[in-house]
Amino acid sequence: MKIRAIYLLLPLLALSTGLLYNSADAAKITAQKNADSGLYSWVAESEGFSIELIQLIPDFVRAIYMKHDFPQEEVDEIAGYCVFGTIIKNTSDKTLGYDVAEWYYTDKKGNKHSVKTKTQWLEQWRKAGVTFSWTLLPDKGTFYVGDWQQGFTTIKLPRESEFSLTYKWTLDNKAYTDTFEGLRCAPEQLSEQ
Amino acid sequence: MHLNNYLNNKFLQFTAIAALFTLLVNAHAAWEVQPKLGYTLTPLPKPVPAPQFTLADMDEEKHSLEDLRGKVVLLNFWATWCPPCRREMPSMERLYQKLSGENFTVIAINQMEDADHVFAYTGQLDVDPTFTILFDKDSKVSNSFDVKGLPTTYLIDKQGNIRYRAIGGREFDHPEVEKQIMQLMQE
Repeated sequence: MKIRAIYLLLPLLALSTGLLYNSADAAKITAQKNADSGLYSWVAESEGFSIELIQLIPDFVRAIYMKHDFPQEEVDEIAGYCVFGTIIKNTSDKTLGYDVAEWYYTDKKGNKHSVKTKTQWLEQWRKAGVTFSWTLLPDKGTFYVGDWQQGFTTIKLPRESEFSLTYKWTLDNKAYTDTFEGLRCAPEQLSEQ
Repeated sequence: MHLNNYLNNKFLQFTAIAALFTLLVNAHAAWEVQPKLGYTLTPLPKPVPAPQFTLADMDEEKHSLEDLRGKVVLLNFWATWCPPCRREMPSMERLYQKLSGENFTVIAINQMEDADHVFAYTGQLDVDPTFTILFDKDSKVSNSFDVKGLPTTYLIDKQGNIRYRAIGGREFDHPEVEKQIMQLMQE
């Protein structure tokens, strides 16, 4: 009986959590194509939060982790993800908070997936004997005025897949959410110029 | 002939690696193009005692934060591969040149790199840092400061309390930052 009650309560709890987040006014999104590489980057800005995603090709990702002496299988695993250089900024005059564990991406078929967090990667790497911990976007942050951060975000989708990223943040404890549409994973290699 | 082939192969390998590296760096120029650096250091809601540490510099000489009691300390966590760390370093040096003395110093704590690598790196900078660089080889000190990403900078008062924090690169020789430091120096 108790278990059934939990099953009933869980969707209500999930729904109420969703309702606590305010949909920010539609983010102003700008896309840019690098003329030399053909790679794309996108910036979305809304309600005191700016997020920039920059396509990275797998060879670049491999080079980064090989330089830090990661085991080959860990290098191959993360290079198998669709990795974006990510820059997030507090553009408000308030205190901003975020938690990547609350973010998710939606593939072209409409399936939702959690973003693999830095904590999850670090747990995996620790088991493989890796102590280096600095390349990925920190899971959680409290940003004061002017604070910003960068790091990699990993999306488990095939090369050149299109998807959207739904992200959440708070400003002085007021919660916001927005969806970054029209994102695309980098190709396997740079195109011939 | 065999040696010639070997040398040719080595040369080709080197050329290929160099070309790949150049290609990758150019391809990811956008990742290197960074936001304009700001100058805001935010006061913590409440001063927090800075965790104590003892770390070695490039000459293996040990430095303790405790020994700097009585000075205002700009404490920066950084790494050579971190683009905003590279960008803010010249402003840290200018700040150090301007304000260092009895009551102020700059300490940059490198994360998980070795002295040879950092020495080679600083030699390539336009402004050679003269402030103290320490080595946190296992990131234990950055963990004790709850540093989540690089660069992160703290301003510590003369009593050893963290008073200001900045996540992300800054122009540290901006007059507003200097003013904040001067205020702490005069307390």
